[in-house]
Formats: sequence, structure tokens, C-alpha cells
Amino acid sequence: MATYDPLFETLGLKEWCSEGKSSGPMSMADLLNKTSGGKTEDTSLWDTPFPSMDALNESCAAFPQSRELTKGLEQGFLAIKDSLSLVLDPLTQPLSWFLDGALYAMLNTPWWIVIPVLLAVVFVVTKSWKLVAFVGASIVAMAFIDHYDYAMQTLAIIMVCAFLCVLFGVPIGIAMARSDGLQRIVTPILDMLQTLPPFVYLIPLIFLFSVTESKLYGIAIILYAIVPVIRLTNLGIRLVDKDVIEAADAFGMTPRQKLYKVQIPLALPNIMAGVNQTIMMSLAMVVIASLVSAPGLGVLVLRGIRNLELGVGLVSGLGIVILAVILDRVTKASLARIDVSKEH
Amino acid sequence: MTRNVKISIKNLYKIFGPTPEVALEYAREGMHKAEMLEKHNHVLGLRDINVDVHEGEITVIMGLSGSGKSTLIRHLNRLIDPTAGEVQVEGDDIMNYTEEQLRQLRRERMSMVFQKFALLPHKTVLENAGMAKDIRGYTTDDFETDAKKWLARVGLEGNENQYPHQLSGGMQQRVGIARALVSDAQIMLMDEAFSALDPLIRSDMQDLLLELQEELKKTIVFITHDLDEALKLADHLVILKEGEVVQQGDPQDILLHPGDPYIVDFISDINRARVLRVRSTMSKPDPEETEYAGDISEKDNLEEVLRKSGGDMTLRFRVMRGDDQVGTLHMKDLAQALVPTDASENRGKTAA
Repeated sequence: MATYDPLFETLGLKEWCSEGKSSGPMSMADLLNKTSGGKTEDTSLWDTPFPSMDALNESCAAFPQSRELTKGLEQGFLAIKDSLSLVLDPLTQPLSWFLDGALYAMLNTPWWIVIPVLLAVVFVVTKSWKLVAFVGASIVAMAFIDHYDYAMQTLAIIMVCAFLCVLFGVPIGIAMARSDGLQRIVTPILDMLQTLPPFVYLIPLIFLFSVTESKLYGIAIILYAIVPVIRLTNLGIRLVDKDVIEAADAFGMTPRQKLYKVQIPLALPNIMAGVNQTIMMSLAMVVIASLVSAPGLGVLVLRGIRNLELGVGLVSGLGIVILAVILDRVTKASLARIDVSKEH
Repeated sequence: MTRNVKISIKNLYKIFGPTPEVALEYAREGMHKAEMLEKHNHVLGLRDINVDVHEGEITVIMGLSGSGKSTLIRHLNRLIDPTAGEVQVEGDDIMNYTEEQLRQLRRERMSMVFQKFALLPHKTVLENAGMAKDIRGYTTDDFETDAKKWLARVGLEGNENQYPHQLSGGMQQRVGIARALVSDAQIMLMDEAFSALDPLIRSDMQDLLLELQEELKKTIVFITHDLDEALKLADHLVILKEGEVVQQGDPQDILLHPGDPYIVDFISDINRARVLRVRSTMSKPDPEETEYAGDISEKDNLEEVLRKSGGDMTLRFRVMRGDDQVGTLHMKDLAQALVPTDASENRGKTAA
């Protein structure tokens, strides 16, 4: 006899319980119980189990076990999966095109064009020769040890994903800053996206899309990396000096004028800090996404782990570090440039 | 002199809190600020304000912090909406304005200068000065000459291409004033415009404002907590205390005939000789008198007369407006005017 038998008896549910018993298969515990011949004593108060689903199931077979919960979730997801992917598939198809296009362009343009173009971009956004030299040296070093292709794949994926994050994240952040209601709804979602272990993202995505499609890892990266740019856009706009906003109102600005002439320009340093964070987080995710066929340095890391190839893992890991440092320094330098000309 | 009423505030109430309409009834019955906060958890911002702002004058609203003066000025362009009452601008009740009309009012008929300057940090001085025009859809080319003219007028020639953070506080506020002037609005609202500046610069800015006003004859509503500043600038002085008007009128008049112990307290520390003018202490001219120690203007302050008299208390001066005599000033009256007056004693007396 299990602990919670009296509960179901007093509730008068004994019949309903035994109905369940007849239909369900006998559990191992029940079998053991039977063989030991009803020797079980009443459990002491000290050992009383928490009335969890499994404990209640012991007393009443009709009560669902907790594994039904995860199973139910899974079945529910599988049930809507087809219609969901019918909608999501075409919606997200452009992402695949972007990613494939960027990867193709990066790998099929000769290195003696790609490297100078990258360095030119670095110079335009940072205006710093020192940084250009650092980036140049890093890329040349990676190319020399034959990691050029992998690094460029990773870079291409990050550029596409970070761009899309900004494209969607900034407007969401602005909308959040304008409506407290929306902020209350979106903030817990952002918290969840940020704290959910990154591997967990991949599971439902694998069900929805085919693993060979590049949008699978694209979505995972975007979901993970979009959070900081949304947060900091929202924060930046909310932190804009109230006095300046009041002046804008007093001189009769429309809400649109206020947004473009005051709020976004004044929030730009914060928004750029968000972009920097977003890029760093896409880099973190692009490594994990190699589990679902994302190309790049992550693949080498994965190989290092799988085959215990210490050298491969270490070198590609260091390559990721170098890439991270490049991206961080370049975005921070351009951020500093914005800050100086628009300082309070 | 015609004194057109430009802005008229009528029976204005403002109560902050969750249910201001309910608290309004208590306020109308005369409940005080402290009691309202304690019993009903509402803050009485303004109670039954009635003020007329005349065209071409500087109306100064003075009060200590928490007296509701900043709240009051924000009702004039509806940055804050009242709980009850009317604000009429040139005869129109702006409470009935649509959003578009209100925007028009803020763009073309009223400009504002702020305590903390509130300039756009990412725009140059020139672009900041032209902000009002930019909002109306003009390009920088359209307003450049105008903006440069006004910037030069407030003493910022050559700073056009700098950014606000490169300027000192006083210079930033000059940009603030230029911004208000470039908008061409007839009404200027100045919210503690000089309070953040140090005393010498503040005095400079007051002189600048008076100089500009001499020339432009704008209708200015000026908020301050500084009595000296209020007396220097005001054509019409409104004194606020805990959201109520304690006394309003000609500043000289308030000084000589304070209507409330609160005001007596307030004015006890100021240099009366510098603030009081001959016109408010003189007596009617006596046609039989012919011996005068000299001529003085009715606009002179008493300090100047004292200097002229060399301290001789028996003298008499002829008070002139242009070429006509308008009165006589006995040094004895002057000496008396320098003694602070009690509220009760002189209440009801009118100025000479």
C-alpha cells in the first residue's frame, strides 16, 4: 500500500483509480510489491514522499506519471510540427539564401580581394591604422596555418546573423521603449532566450527544419544573439535625457521627429554597445551550432572533441579567440568614434 | 500704454495622484497641501491660479522649490495638462486644441528656454539654434542666416560649428536663448533659465535679456526662485507659495506693500536701495516748491539718488519723465522706504 492511498479513498476516487489500473500495464514496482507478498509497512512520517505525479500514480494508477508530461509536450509539438513548418519554412527561407550566399561569396572570392576589402572596412569604421595592422596580421596568420576558409565561413555566418539581429532587434527595442506594456511582455521572453542553455534551442529546430538547411543554425544563432541589441536599444532610448525630450516636445516635434532627431541619435552609443554584444554572442553560438552542420571553426572544435585531437581543438579554439578579439576591438573602436563626436 | 492680455490663466488647478478629480473637490473646499498629502495621498500642485500675462511684458513667477512654478509654466504650452481650469492664449482656450493645433502653437507661437539648456548634444550650435525651424521642415540653408544673426546677437559669433559640450554653461544657455529667438515666436517661456549659471554670468544674462526685450518686446514668462533676479526683470511679479498665488502685481508695489508675512520674510534680505525706484517713493509735485537740489529720472533707483545727495537727508529732488516734472522726492521719504515694511501695517495702501 502506497502513502497516498487514503487520500484517494477519502476523495471517493477509488473506482476511477482502479479503472486506470486495469487498462495500464503493471509497473516494475508493482511487480516487486506483488512478489514480496504485501510485506510493505506504512512509511514513517520521516520518509513521506512529496505528493508528486509519480508518487500519486503509485496510489492511483489512473493518475498520470510525470513522464507523460514530457511525452505529451513532445507529441503536442509533433502534432503541430507539420503545419508550423508549413508557415515557418517559406518565412525563413530567405535566411538560408542569405547564409548560403554569404558563404559562397566569401569562399569563392579570391583571398587577395577578400583580405584587402576586410581591412578597408576596418579602416573606414575605426579610422585606426593600428587596428588595421592587427586585423591584417591575425588574418594572415590564420591563412598561413590553413584556417582561412574556416575562419571566413564563421565570419560570413556572423555577419549575416548579426546584421539580421540588428535589423529586427533595433525596431523591437524601440517599440519596447515606447510601450511599458510591451516591455513587460518582451522582457521575460528575452530573459528566457538568454538563459536557456543554447543546446536546447537546437532540439525543436531540428524537428522543424531539415538539418541540411543553413537556416537551422541561422535561426538558433539569431534567437540567441538578438537579446542584447533589443535590451540595449530599449535601455538607450529610455535613458535619453528627459530634459532634451521635453525641449523636443516644447518646440512641437512630432513623435516621429522625436524618434529620428533625438531619441535614436542620443541612444546610439548604447545601441552600438548592444550590437557589439550581439556579435560576440553570435560567435559563441556559431561554435555550438556546428553540432547542426554550421560550417566554420566550430566544426574543427567539434572534431577535436569527438576524436580527441588535442592540437586541432586548441588551434581552432585559438582561432575563435582571435576572431572574437578582432570583432570586439573593431566594434568598440567604431563605438568610441561615435561617442566622441556626440559626447554630452 | 495698452496692455493687451496675451495669456490668461483662469481658475487653474493641478493635482497629482491616482484620482485627481476626487481630490479636486477637497482642494476646492480649501484643503491644504500637507493635509491632502496625508489624508488622500494626492499632491496639490496648483490651486486656483489666476494670472494675466500682458503682451510685451516680462511676467516673473517666483517661488521656492516645490511652490509649483515649474508646473505652472508647463501648463502654458500644455507639457502638463491641468486638472481643472483654463489657459487662454490670445483669447483661445488651448485646452480645446487638437494635437495638431497644439503642435502649431508650440512651433510658431511659443518658444521655451530650459534650466538645463536641453540642447541636442549631437548637433552643432548652429543646428541647435535652428532647431525650431528644422522641426517646421526648413533646411539648414533656409535658417542659416537667421540663426547666425541671432547667435551673433547673443554673443556667440564664430561658435556656430562647435558642439554644445565644447561650450561653457553660460554659452550653452545663450544658444538656448538664440534657439528660442530663431523660432520667431512672440511668447517666450523661460523655466529657471539662469538658475544653473554662476552669479556673475547670471547677471550678464539678465542684462542681455533686458537688452533684447527692449528691442523685441516679446511676451516673456520667466520662472525663478531668486528674488533679486525677479525684481530686476519683472514688469509683473507673481509670487507662488505651495501652489497658490500669494501676491501679484508691480514688483515695486509688492516691495513697499507686502501683503503676507511670507513675503515680508522673503524681501527682508534684499538691497532695497538698488531695487526701489524713484517713481514708487516720490510724492506729487508741489507747484509752490521751486528749490531743488537737482533733477532725477523717475526710473533711477534709490541708490543712485543717495549717491547724488551725498548723504544729506534734508534735500529735495525734482523727478522728471523726459522733460516734464512728474513729482518730488524728499530724502526723508527715501530713507523711510529703505526700512522694510510690515505686512499688516501697510496693507491696502496704494503706491504714490
